[in-house]
Amino acid sequence: MSGAIGYVSQASPVHRLHALVKVLWALGVLITSLAFTDVRYLAGVLASVLVVAAAARVLLRLLPALAGLAVFALILVFFQAVFLDRGRVLFYIIPWAKILPVTGAGLLLGAAMGLRMLSIVLSFLVLLATTQVKDITTMLVARCRVPYDYAFLFATILRFVPVFLREARQVDQAQRARGLVVEGPNPWRKLKGYAPLAVPLVLLSLRRAEQLAVALEMRGYGQGGGVAADRPLKNRDRFLIAGLVLIIGALLAARVAGYGT
Amino acid sequence: MIRVENLSFRYAGAQEPALCEVNLEIAPGSFVGLVGSAGAGKTTLLRCLNGLVPHFYGGTLTGRVTLDGVALADLSVAAIARTVGTVLEDAESQLVCAEVEEEVAFALENLQLGPAAIRARVQGALEMVGAAHLARRPTASLSGGEKQRVAIAAVLALRPRVLLLDEPASELDPRGTEELFAVLGRLRRECGLTMVVAEQKTGHLARYADRIVVLDRGRVVVDGPPRPVFSRAAELAACGVRLPQVAELAAALGGAGETTPLTPAEGRVWLEELLGGGRRVRAARG
Amino acid sequence: MSGPPAVEIEDLHYRYPGGPAALRGVSLVVAAGEMVAMVGQNGAGKSTLARHLNGLLRPAAGRVRIFGRDTARLRVSELARYVGYVFQNPDHQIFRETVAAEVAFGPANLGCPPDEIEARVHAALRFVNLEEKRDANPHLLSRGERQRVALASVLAMQTPVLVLDEPTTGQDYRTSLEIMERVAELNRAGHTVIFITHDMELVARYASRVVVLARGKVVADGGVRETFASPGVLAASHLAPPDITCLAREMAPWGIPGDVLTVEEMLAVLAPLVGGRGC
Repeated sequence: MSGAIGYVSQASPVHRLHALVKVLWALGVLITSLAFTDVRYLAGVLASVLVVAAAARVLLRLLPALAGLAVFALILVFFQAVFLDRGRVLFYIIPWAKILPVTGAGLLLGAAMGLRMLSIVLSFLVLLATTQVKDITTMLVARCRVPYDYAFLFATILRFVPVFLREARQVDQAQRARGLVVEGPNPWRKLKGYAPLAVPLVLLSLRRAEQLAVALEMRGYGQGGGVAADRPLKNRDRFLIAGLVLIIGALLAARVAGYGT
Repeated sequence: MIRVENLSFRYAGAQEPALCEVNLEIAPGSFVGLVGSAGAGKTTLLRCLNGLVPHFYGGTLTGRVTLDGVALADLSVAAIARTVGTVLEDAESQLVCAEVEEEVAFALENLQLGPAAIRARVQGALEMVGAAHLARRPTASLSGGEKQRVAIAAVLALRPRVLLLDEPASELDPRGTEELFAVLGRLRRECGLTMVVAEQKTGHLARYADRIVVLDRGRVVVDGPPRPVFSRAAELAACGVRLPQVAELAAALGGAGETTPLTPAEGRVWLEELLGGGRRVRAARG
Repeated sequence: MSGPPAVEIEDLHYRYPGGPAALRGVSLVVAAGEMVAMVGQNGAGKSTLARHLNGLLRPAAGRVRIFGRDTARLRVSELARYVGYVFQNPDHQIFRETVAAEVAFGPANLGCPPDEIEARVHAALRFVNLEEKRDANPHLLSRGERQRVALASVLAMQTPVLVLDEPTTGQDYRTSLEIMERVAELNRAGHTVIFITHDMELVARYASRVVVLARGKVVADGGVRETFASPGVLAASHLAPPDITCLAREMAPWGIPGDVLTVEEMLAVLAPLVGGRGC
């Protein structure tokens, strides 16, 4: 999913928006997804995220990542459905032995968890695909009074995500070339199988962190300064911010009033 | 002017010293090639020239390094970096920003320069390394050679007088190596930058450097202009240094000292002299 | 020698997800026992091609056979018995606390019994001259030593084919020669070797055949001597033969052959001209 993370340089109505609008939107998706448990409401949230992704013309690019996330979501559904044993049993995973009953409540809760995860992750992928990291950090420092160090840390982590993923792929290839097989039914063996992948990655990351510290020191980081002025908000941005705040507020009020649980 | 006086250094926890009584004077505008096998002390010497030793990497240090008469020990790493720019061996980890333009502006923003000054310097630095067309590219999408050039531009933006490079071509393909050295040569010619370059590719150093310093187990063992240095084949081989092939041939044919040929074209002239011009004319006519 | 070739590649195409075509119709046959150098600029497709040999990448179109077996039907862990792959950066693989344990990882994955593993570890470490470091922590060794640990860890799998992806990049000259001498010895012992490099002097010295890749295609494939003597194809890929070969071509009016590959060869052809001079 390394291709899914990061800025996509193109023109779209979503790209043109101010970073504040898009950050607020992603936060709104996060808050409403967590607030509601009703599958219908959560499906609505996901649908709205997909519409924004389509408007930003990044839906196709995010599709592979979306497919991977969907598999993960299905696993969530499965676990919730199997391990929540309350309510009426719908059917059994192994019917002849009546093992692993699936209840209606479990299925719904699982679906809710899956939808939630999809909405939240996807909204952040859309944010990163349509907004330059620099614009986000400048906005955070200039408008949200986030200390520069934290905003810079956030930007640096994003900068090294592709590097980390590339290194993970190389380590994975090097170990598989030596006959490593991580798949298999035994969970203990599976866990042990990750050491050949995890140890080189951790050591490489530590080395990288040291070099990063050297690079920052040599370029005068931490001597104050560092942030340019933020882009001004346009009327379009103000209108959208007001709209988002109203929608999020209304949804939360509805939730407090007892809808969508 | 950088002056290294009786410099010895041992990393904390190490048994052997990394540098032993090194003495060097690096004149403004010179291009110094630093050669030697792995562990000879090249990287440590560069770290002493930019203050990372002892400010960042601790250990036992004796002797001193001065920059225009001021001891580096009395300056901060960031202050030294405004005069002595450094490109680390792994350029990738030196790129801290998401986009090329930001990357080159990073040190300038830390200096709190105004937006107009920053824009002008960023543009100038990128043009100097032939990377103006990369300005809006994400740093993660650059090729190895492009990363190296952007890392150099990011250092140049501070307008240093000295540039240190630690094996800049080790990961590059032949074309990338060629382009990199062409950029270094131009920086020196047009901006009068002093260069200290640690490199295994001695063929390129032979063409661009005006001085070669050979390190072996922390000591300077040979120091001089490329031609006489590369004529000392036996000593260099003992230090694990590769000779340019033409120089190796000349050494095997009796040596040439100051007139040692370094490139194929020079090799031809030198060989023809050795073989005697007259016979060549006969061979060509016959 | 009869039997199927070690490597047989037929019209191989590959494209990274979301990227441009990386391989555009590569065909290549490598006989058992050959020592082949693969050269070309970064991005020409060398590593992409090499990763198809042990199944790390799967053909989008075309076929790859190892000793006649179609790799499409074999898992990476099965192909690991036939094709050993030494990666450029040893730090991408080293994870055990001792050198011996690191080298034992591959044979253990292949299901070797303990005494067999021990014998293989011993032989591989002796081969790369690291016997005395068998109980050392590999992370504390020098870069050159770590590269040799990585080499030994692949050797211990005793695969008939060895692929080395830039084994000397980032190494000093002495270490480069040490590694290549070991690899050449393996080739003499019967291993088929394919190595990727940017160092034309090493190609001239160690390979018998050179394959030049450019933009996902094989643009030249032949004996090192012939390929370097007619440098047109090399120049088209921004590569140049070693300096000594260029000098030999400059010296054509003196009757020097244009296919000289090493300084030693040059000295030999110059010997009659310079008489008693030199060594």
